[in-house]
Amino acid sequence: MNQKMIHKRENVLKVLFLLFVFVNACFIQTAHAESGRSDIYSMQQNVTCSGTVSDELGGPIPGVSVIVKGTTIGTITDINGNYTLSDVSNDAILVFSFIGMRNKEVAVNGQITINVTLEQDMIGLDEVVAVGYGVTKKMDLTGASSNISTDDLNQGAVTNPLQQMAGRAVGVNITQVGSEPGSAPSVRIRGITSLSGGNDPLVVIDGIQGDMSMFNQLAPSEIENVDILKDASATAIYGSRGAPGVIIVTTKKAKAGHKSIEYSGSYSVDMLANKLDFYSADEYRSQMAAWQVPGEVDHGADTDWYDILTQIGSTQNHTVAFGGGTGDFNYRASVSAILQEGVVINSSNNNYIARLTATQKGLDDKLTLTLNMNNSIRQNVGSPSGVGRAQFTGNLISNAYFAKPTDPVYDVDGSYYYDENVFQYMNPYAVAQEVENDREEKSMFTSLRADLEIVEGLKAGWFGSWRKVSEESGYYASPKSTLYSAMDKDGIANVRSNFKEDRLMDISLNYDKVIGKHKIAALAVYEWQRNTYQGHFAQSKGFINDVFTYNKLEAGSEGSIDLGDMTSYKNDRTVVSVLGRVNYTFNEKYLLTASLRRDGASVFGDNYKWGNFPSASLAWRVSEEGFMQGQDLVSNLKLRVGYGVTGNQQGLYPQASLLLVEPSDTLFFGGEEIKNFRINQNANPDLRWETRKQLNLGVDYGLFNGKVYGAIDVFSATTDNLLFSYDVPRPPYPNPSMYANVGSLVNEGIEFAVNYIPLKKGDWEVNLGANFSLLRTEVKTLSGKIGETVIDTEIVSWGSYNAFLKEGDAIGTFYILQNAGKDNSNSELVADINNDGTIDTGIRSEDRYKAGQALPKYNFAFTPSVKYKNFDLSMVWRGAGGNKIFNYIKKSFSTYENLGKSNLLKTSSNTGLSTTMYNSDLWLEDGDFVRFENLSVGYTFNTDRLKYISKMRLSLTGNNLAVFTKYTGLDPEVDVSGGSGSGADVGIYPRTRSFSLGLNVTF
Amino acid sequence: MKKYIIVSLLAAFFIVGCTDLDEQVYDKIDANEFYDSEIGADAALASVYALIPGNWDGKGLIGADRGYYDLNNMSTDEQVVPHRVTGDWEPDFAWFHKRMWTPGHGFINNAWNWLYDCVFHANLAVELLENANADNEVVAEAKVLRAFFYYLLMDDFGNVPFFTDNNLTVDQIPQKSRAEIFDFIVTELEDNVAFLSEEKGGSYYGRFNKWAGYALLAKVYLNAEVYTGTPKWQECLNACEALEEGGFSLHPAVSDASHPNGNTYFELFGDQCPDDEVILALYIELDVVGRNITTIRSFGGTDGALLFGETVSTWNGTIIPTEFLNQFDDIDIRKRQFRYGSEPFGPRPAGFIVYDPEEDNYIDPGAERDGGARSMKWWPAGTVNGGGASNDFPIYRYADMLLMKAECLVQQNKAGEAKPFVDQVRERAGLDALNADPTLEDIYNERSKELSLEGHKRQDMIRFGTFTKAHGEDENGDPIVPAVDSHYELFPIPTAAIDANPSLQQNTGY
Repeated sequence: MNQKMIHKRENVLKVLFLLFVFVNACFIQTAHAESGRSDIYSMQQNVTCSGTVSDELGGPIPGVSVIVKGTTIGTITDINGNYTLSDVSNDAILVFSFIGMRNKEVAVNGQITINVTLEQDMIGLDEVVAVGYGVTKKMDLTGASSNISTDDLNQGAVTNPLQQMAGRAVGVNITQVGSEPGSAPSVRIRGITSLSGGNDPLVVIDGIQGDMSMFNQLAPSEIENVDILKDASATAIYGSRGAPGVIIVTTKKAKAGHKSIEYSGSYSVDMLANKLDFYSADEYRSQMAAWQVPGEVDHGADTDWYDILTQIGSTQNHTVAFGGGTGDFNYRASVSAILQEGVVINSSNNNYIARLTATQKGLDDKLTLTLNMNNSIRQNVGSPSGVGRAQFTGNLISNAYFAKPTDPVYDVDGSYYYDENVFQYMNPYAVAQEVENDREEKSMFTSLRADLEIVEGLKAGWFGSWRKVSEESGYYASPKSTLYSAMDKDGIANVRSNFKEDRLMDISLNYDKVIGKHKIAALAVYEWQRNTYQGHFAQSKGFINDVFTYNKLEAGSEGSIDLGDMTSYKNDRTVVSVLGRVNYTFNEKYLLTASLRRDGASVFGDNYKWGNFPSASLAWRVSEEGFMQGQDLVSNLKLRVGYGVTGNQQGLYPQASLLLVEPSDTLFFGGEEIKNFRINQNANPDLRWETRKQLNLGVDYGLFNGKVYGAIDVFSATTDNLLFSYDVPRPPYPNPSMYANVGSLVNEGIEFAVNYIPLKKGDWEVNLGANFSLLRTEVKTLSGKIGETVIDTEIVSWGSYNAFLKEGDAIGTFYILQNAGKDNSNSELVADINNDGTIDTGIRSEDRYKAGQALPKYNFAFTPSVKYKNFDLSMVWRGAGGNKIFNYIKKSFSTYENLGKSNLLKTSSNTGLSTTMYNSDLWLEDGDFVRFENLSVGYTFNTDRLKYISKMRLSLTGNNLAVFTKYTGLDPEVDVSGGSGSGADVGIYPRTRSFSLGLNVTF
Repeated sequence: MKKYIIVSLLAAFFIVGCTDLDEQVYDKIDANEFYDSEIGADAALASVYALIPGNWDGKGLIGADRGYYDLNNMSTDEQVVPHRVTGDWEPDFAWFHKRMWTPGHGFINNAWNWLYDCVFHANLAVELLENANADNEVVAEAKVLRAFFYYLLMDDFGNVPFFTDNNLTVDQIPQKSRAEIFDFIVTELEDNVAFLSEEKGGSYYGRFNKWAGYALLAKVYLNAEVYTGTPKWQECLNACEALEEGGFSLHPAVSDASHPNGNTYFELFGDQCPDDEVILALYIELDVVGRNITTIRSFGGTDGALLFGETVSTWNGTIIPTEFLNQFDDIDIRKRQFRYGSEPFGPRPAGFIVYDPEEDNYIDPGAERDGGARSMKWWPAGTVNGGGASNDFPIYRYADMLLMKAECLVQQNKAGEAKPFVDQVRERAGLDALNADPTLEDIYNERSKELSLEGHKRQDMIRFGTFTKAHGEDENGDPIVPAVDSHYELFPIPTAAIDANPSLQQNTGY
């Protein structure tokens, strides 16, 4: 690069900077002109002030606004923190303000040089946080919510924004079960609120409401702020969707007058964090010999199937973002690519996201129009799931446990090894190589928000969003895959399309008014939403070769089309709501928020079409009281109390309440094969939302001048009308189970969050963050009525492995048979606890005893960070405990009856069990763990001498560096969603340990 | 002010326009609408039949793994799926065979659920057809079907919940005694069978016509003593006599080299049941209507491709216990349904598996991989793959009726009149006529051989008092399946059913 060019660029930069200053100056000047105040012109003895604004470390702060108090005259500081303000009255007061810093006021008093040091506002009370349908200042919050800003997010190989939040918000548990590419973590806010009605929080990204899949469309680096609404007084504004909590994401926007070009990227190496100890071929042979398994099943190989099926994976993340604007127009655009290669061979996920937001003001700035567009394409190559044999079905990688180490991968003729003597033999390597399982998800959304100031204080808003997700997948299983169905049918190919459409429209009125010490903000909204679900599927079988895969279904053999090979569906859901909220503040000390929402939904049964969801909360900013002044122990103290009623309709699928007939199988009648039509479900016109009532008491505190700050919340929530799939008596119901609103459960908890800044001096800054939450759940009742049918039950299964819902117990309490050794044929014995001479395996069996619960009782996280000069270091330690895990994998691979059929865990020799008829406590283990989740070290370069780079940071991050647990399975974080495998380890995609290098550059 | 008006008008427009919350149904039909239509009533009757063939998930009368068929047959001395010493097959079938079942056993729950699903749909059909003023013939068919399901329920479980109207709540559904259910079935059949169609085959293939109705009635009477304590031999005979009008005969058994089993007798178990002998058949077309897994589940892995087609992988499951196999005379053509030894019946392509008929270990350490004779009574026909075959299944056939007649006559001390019926069956099988009047034991043995694997054995064993006896002999001379007490003659009401309706009374002994 020659001198000339550098010079040229320097000039361009200078010009741009000047332009920037100019635009700002214009803006301020214009504002001044409009304000119509002319009194300052009458001032005498005006001076020109200049100076530098710096932070506590002495570094200059660019972009600080410097305004003459009581006027709109002002300027902002330049790149070096310098400002100059001419024509300032001698007796004026200058106000210096910057986001995240405390405002400072300095009297001019004839000084011409005023240098100012701004202090960081540790508590960030002036921060603006999102609440439903609006924003508020953090100090005005009355409900319980957690705010995570972009600087607090976890770093490293992040593929889903949720991973960035793990451990960062108290009472918000973000769990990743395995590291399958494209798999999303699950989020539970204040525990499980519903048994099967769904516990995923509502996700709101820039006003667009949706489910957790919205996070697939969000580039992790594009998040500005995340607000997590936890208690019902905060979430009631979302009515029948608010019960599981709400995650509100605000994405980065361009600031008027700022131009920016940013790149952020990372590359990580992902490896297996843990591996189960199975027999090697030689060890397996000696086991077979010891248990008289005939030699005919030994095929002479030495294969480590797990090793063959895994590899070192990688994750890449690249985002280019740029934006800019003038006073009444600004935009930000970004393009991201998240590319993940899994640790299991042939599994990957590539996600490409582009977004654009633009804001235009008009009508003398009374009208603001905001457009938000987002497109994403996600391409996934999935490791086959649900494969295996009659005895063991699971994901592909867990089938590596099943495969015998003495079986070769390839046969002598070079084909995949296949043992014809074994019922439904499967070669997992052949499955990995010969099954194509591709999925592409295209998502797009567009939203437009129009805000119009009608008169001062009164705003009308219109918001419309339309999101469409198209998921298309293709699957082909070659007969070479050794999957028995594919071999039977000479290849199976199918294509599937699912379309989901979310449309939302709301009309809102906002009114803000300050009258003396009274501050009122009111909101009224009408909202209409429709979700449409549609899709089709086609399958064909019997291919002459593997050339076509799923791209030419008609190449399948004639007459191979069976029932279920062609399907399509469509259904939808409409929700109509009206809602209102009033915030009232008196004297900045006493705050009241009250809201009411009325929701109607098409999925509710005929007898309950509309529901009301009220809430109210109060807060008292004690530290603002006179009696709190003049002491420096407590710098901030706010007491909060809130109560609200929320609902949950996630578990209500369209048409669930109706008695419907649908085409099903083929039948033979009247001498011919004809289509059968039959009733597919039990009708329930009483079906409705679950109701959750929650009381929250909270304290926000700041001590020792803000060196220690945090919050403590206590809550008690009761979910009534619990939606659950109840086993109904047959007779009279045709289907053995049905969804009904019966029963109630209670969640109670305490959450502590604390931040301590022990050192913030010179080059050092140390912040120790920690949080801890305790959660107690209790099933109150399960009995109730479905129509006229009394459902009288005190216990139902939760998951399939000894976890139950029982009145008076925690959700997912284990009632389990007690191992009592083995009999002389090495078959497991269990204790006949009630001594009646028989072992009862029924759910009410008195031979079962209570053995803990599947859900953790406590969760905690420790998030220290240190900054020294240009270095920064942060860590996340996270843990949970008080729970048990039913280790189904261990049970499946520990009995020697399986020798000859499958590999076994080395620990199986300790028990010496031949077989077992029971899922006993022999396989129940403690689930407590502490995970060293994240360690990140960063270095921020000195860019003063670089012409075009204003910021550059290089970082190295390790993820999942260590797990401390007694659990003997692969990873102690297992599925506790309430589905069929809840509380049990049924074989997970391996969890990775990753090391990533990250680079952030701002030009 | 104008702005307010515009905004409120706009708001009003949207609010009025968008409050319709009636659920739109695009891909299903409202049940009331459907069944009120003309096709609805016919569809209701047809969909009852749809429940009978077996498929996965343990549903159906036969064909499916772990359902009604396994419940009623793996519990007898005629078949078992052993755990293999090579690790294959978990011991659950073997446990079941050894009568180690508990109320939580999957077969029991599957059969119960399937049967009550059938009852519900039969009730629905009766109700809809009566409302639609359908022909007596059609209403009667739905009622006979319902009686059939109650007969299966009562036969397995004894006292069971009883309802004929679906619009009831659970407390309105009493658990009736076995005898009460028996009375209902008998009354229902006596009242309705006469209305049934006399047509055989064609559009009545696989349906309850008059003859199938009488066969069912005869079956119910045959076991009356078990159900109520009072035998009904004459009533059974009467029903069998009524059935004679249908003109049934034994299907001829002559050598036939074109059939893998070498005899036309096995046409009874082919792709379609011949209507000279079969009174009620179950239609099966693999992957379309039901599946017949009997043979596919039995043969060893490599035999599938050798014998039934290149891509057919067989399961190495069901075996025939040695003692059961040994009751067949070598000249008995019915012995050709079993495969074992180095010179087996049926094709002998190079590399076929030599099954060892002597197998006495089912659980620990388990059977040898090639242990146990295999069943090929239903030599796979029609569409065949690793998921089963398309052989139809005879539910009732004339040979059964002949032996039932003989049994009633012997019970009535008319053994001389019974002899020709037994001899007919024996002679067709290539055996000599009995040299004396038949005893009950002769009839039991003949039934055991003639009707093997056809789903009658449990009922027969209970009626003849052999069900709870020990059978089989292991290497130590101990019975493989030890004797048990009589409560095992009823299956327990499944745990899940009691969990859902705790007012149900469990059967004695469980």
